[in-house]
This record gives sequence, structure tokens and C-alpha cells, in this order.
Amino acid sequence: MTETTFFVLLAVYKPNHGYGIMQFIEKETNGRVVLGAGTLYGAINTLVKKEWIAPFNDESDNKKKEYLITHIGKQKAEEELQRIEQVLQLASTVIKGDRTK
Amino acid sequence: MSKTVFRYFFDFLNGQEKWLNRMARDGYRLKKCGRLTYVFDECSPNEYEYAIEFVGNQAYSKAKDYRSYLESMGFQTFTKNIYLNFSYGKVSWRPYAKGIGQIATSPGGLNKELLILEKKSDGVPFELHTDIHDKLSIYKTVRRACAWAVFMITLLGVMTFIPNELSVSLPMAWLLRIALLIFFSLFLIPTMKYSSLVKYLKEESEIFE
Repeated sequence: MTETTFFVLLAVYKPNHGYGIMQFIEKETNGRVVLGAGTLYGAINTLVKKEWIAPFNDESDNKKKEYLITHIGKQKAEEELQRIEQVLQLASTVIKGDRTK
Repeated sequence: MSKTVFRYFFDFLNGQEKWLNRMARDGYRLKKCGRLTYVFDECSPNEYEYAIEFVGNQAYSKAKDYRSYLESMGFQTFTKNIYLNFSYGKVSWRPYAKGIGQIATSPGGLNKELLILEKKSDGVPFELHTDIHDKLSIYKTVRRACAWAVFMITLLGVMTFIPNELSVSLPMAWLLRIALLIFFSLFLIPTMKYSSLVKYLKEESEIFE
């Protein structure tokens, strides 16, 4: 899973709209990740198509279109969390072990 | 005070974008644009920034949805043409586009191949595509559009050499060929530029996300 995808999933554990997702990611990464609007649009549409997230309110008005993570989305996020934990553990062991040499 | 400028860009993405940003730096904000015209209003220098997005490969409904999304993100949007075409009520085939987007009609998606986006300067670079995979697909799309133009022009050029096909005199035929050659290189340059960008990003994407 790309970082963009994972962050978007994390941003819609509560109903959120495009602009809110962008702000969430920027704030939580202290400005390290600033998503371009085009990239975010592509990510949202792909995730909706895959049914990992779904429109929350059925308003056709684009300005208020909110999204919420689905059951499948949560499952995928859970798997990604486990993967990252595994990577973190391995990296810590190797890198910290090398530092103390 | 508003100011009208006549301009056409073969380098419709980067060239046009740079020019609009230069105008904004000098204190001119885009008010509206036509096929060949740009109308500017005066504003404070550096108050606004511009970015251009290619949507000519999308079905009109998709491009419209994208536009309203971008407006919800707080950008002012304008549609802009790539080709020069002054007829009204027309259908065009865009061989480089996706699905139904291949058929462009006017009124409809024809002559709205580009979106010009405006935002108030906020210190953050105006980048619409920040993900490497996303950038790759955009560059490939633009490269495909340019490559098709190169191909079509080559085809036209070859046709001028078919005996008895041209009903013009020899000097006129050569003039036509020279004109075609100029158009050929005008589209070949961006094709090659986007090719090398695609190549570079492909290598990068093997290491970074």
C-alpha cells in the first residue's frame, strides 16, 4: 500500500471531505506530507471503486461530499499496520544493533 | 483596469503555466480566457498562483466532476482549449483518450482540454500531483497526446508526397511541408521531454513511493 493510500484511509475513520482529508494528513505529519489536490482526487476515486471507502452522505453536491472507511477498508488498514510494525521491528533491531557496535 | 492579451501556447502545460505565473508576479490576475485571448485584472503582485491540468483524455462528465471537486478544494477554475478551432457544433476524435473520452463534442468537452487553476499564494508550492505514481500517469497521458499529434502530422507530411494528391503548385507544396515540419518539431519536443521525465520517474519509483 502506498503512503498516500494509507493516510487517506486513516483520515476517513471519521466522515471527512476532500479538503478535510488533505488538512488531516498535513497536520498529522507536521507538514511532511502535503498531498496535491489531483493526487488526492485519484486516491479517493480509486478507494471508492475498490470499496475501501464509501461516500458518507448521499448529497450530490460535490462540495459536501464526505467519505467514510468501510469494513474492507478497515481490514486492509489493519493488515498494513501489521506490516509496518514488522518492518519497524526489523529495522530497529538491525539499525540499533549496528549503532552499539 | 483590465488588460487583454492575445497568446497561443504549443507548450500548453509548462509554457502556459509559467507565463500565467509571470503575469501574476507582475500583478495581473486571470479574469477569463478564450481560444486565443486572456483577460487580466490588476491585483497585488504575487497574490495568486496558477497551475494547469490536462483533462483532455477524460470523458466530459469526469472532467466536470473533477472541476467541481477542485473548486470545492478552494481553487478558482477556468477551462482552456489546446487546439485552434473556431467552428461551433462539432465532434472530434481524440485517439489518446480513455473510453468515451475519445469522442469530444462541442458544446461539451471539446476545446476544454485544459483546466487553469488559480489559488491565493500561501507559501506552499502549487503542486497538484505529489505522488510519484500519479505523476507518472499524468506524464504518460500528456506524452500520448503529443505523440499522436506527431504521428498525425507525419501522416499528413507523407500524403503530400503522393503524386496527384495535392492540387497546389510545387512551391506551395513545399511551403506546406515546411509548415508541417515546424508543427512536427513543436510537438516532438514535448513528446521527448515527457519521455525522459517518464524514464526518470520510473527509476525513482523503484526506490521511493
